Amino acid sequence: MTGPIYLDHQATTPLDPRAMAAMRPFLEDRFGNPHSDHHTLGRDAATAVETARAEIAALIGADSREIVFTSGATESNNLALKGVARFVGNKRRHIVTVATEHKCVLVSVRSLESEGFTSTILPVDSSGLVNLDTLAEAVTDDTVVVSVMGVNNEIGVIQPLQEIGKICRARGVLFHTDCAQAVGKIDLDVNEMCIDLMSISSHKMYGPKGIGSLFVRRRPRVRLEPLFSGGGQERGIRSGTLPAFLCVGFGAAAAAAQTDMTEERERLTLLSSQLKEKLLAIPGSELNGDVAHRWPGNLNVSFTGIDAEALLAALRDDIAAATGSACTSASVEPSYVLQALGLDDAMASSAIRLGLGRQTTAEEIEVAAMRIAEAVGALRGHVHVSAA
Amino acid sequence: MTFVMPDGARREADAAPGETVLEIAQRLGVAELEGACEGAMACSTCHVIVEKDWFSSFPEPSDDEDDMLDFAYGLSLTSRLGCQLVFTEHTDGLVVRVPSERFNALLE
Repeated sequence: MTGPIYLDHQATTPLDPRAMAAMRPFLEDRFGNPHSDHHTLGRDAATAVETARAEIAALIGADSREIVFTSGATESNNLALKGVARFVGNKRRHIVTVATEHKCVLVSVRSLESEGFTSTILPVDSSGLVNLDTLAEAVTDDTVVVSVMGVNNEIGVIQPLQEIGKICRARGVLFHTDCAQAVGKIDLDVNEMCIDLMSISSHKMYGPKGIGSLFVRRRPRVRLEPLFSGGGQERGIRSGTLPAFLCVGFGAAAAAAQTDMTEERERLTLLSSQLKEKLLAIPGSELNGDVAHRWPGNLNVSFTGIDAEALLAALRDDIAAATGSACTSASVEPSYVLQALGLDDAMASSAIRLGLGRQTTAEEIEVAAMRIAEAVGALRGHVHVSAA
Repeated sequence: MTFVMPDGARREADAAPGETVLEIAQRLGVAELEGACEGAMACSTCHVIVEKDWFSSFPEPSDDEDDMLDFAYGLSLTSRLGCQLVFTEHTDGLVVRVPSERFNALLE
């Protein structure tokens, strides 16, 4: 292969060739506007978009009419939280979420606070899991929505969605889950898990960037105040012309994920346990996040005394990885997710995130583990020499 | 039953079991509730907001009704289509609010 070993699959995934092939005609001859129903070019695009919608719905056990296309998971999370809060707003005014959620969820909640809503930000235990009793206690008669992510983007921890869904359903509160890192990777069923709203990202599951979707339950109907005013596309929930080629690519990626998911998960489980074993053999290394409830394509590891930024710089030619979520990787602040697990600043800023994916091979894992061990050793040597 | 108009005025009407809220409104001459599709659930011009205490007196809306309500202006948690609300002896004294704006899918 050329270039460094790509171990940053939580930041983004490469485009599945099946998605690429499906998209191509819609960037060439089949350019119709899917909302133009007066001619065959428009209707052709509309049919393709509806097929894609059904493929995405099938992946999470939803009805295709429950899938609303958006620009990505950030928009989906904004639409879900601000949409339901503003719709229900004069009746209920409390939101429950978790300290380790993606920034766009936490900042959306903060923004709703400026509109007069209140929030409870639940803590997590040292393994990154939310406590179900604490969550149940946080829900009040004033709660509009509980928002808990499926797979954490930094530490790969899988929250107990079904149990949370049951608590919310029993209390008559909406349950939203940010599943940007989970869809196409772990088994999800919106009905079994009592999910009312689910955010999905295309480019985290080998689809094109720039598109995502929000699952919005139809029965009982979940209603949202739209973020944008416009022509009323997407059942009035999300106005704007649909990018047919992106919808089609996203749908093809969903269909591909459905076919490959189980096999790929087993393969990654094996690869990541090999990598984990090698990394944890390095003295002073520690895995962050629960060992068992975890997406195997993520390993987040701290190396005592190491500055993660320096480690990534030393590895730059060999490995593409990250310190935290890509959106905050430009900042030098230690990860708020790791801090929520109870890591002190030194341990939090010594952590790197390794994201494995479909292209990752056993050979790459072997090389990556070796390079990381060497780099950690070299950096510690450097620290030791300069301190002496 | 009572219609609370957008300006706050209250209009009272006698109602018989079996009549729909839309039929009652039309008999009373409530022009705001147009009923453009004549109860076929193809428009949402008979959108009314049922007073909270009365909302559970009616069977739940069908998917078709919910689909049309998706397009109604000023949608609320107790929104319904007047054409789908059948008056019974249990709804004697019913109060619904008439929203200030309507959306007619048939004209779009």
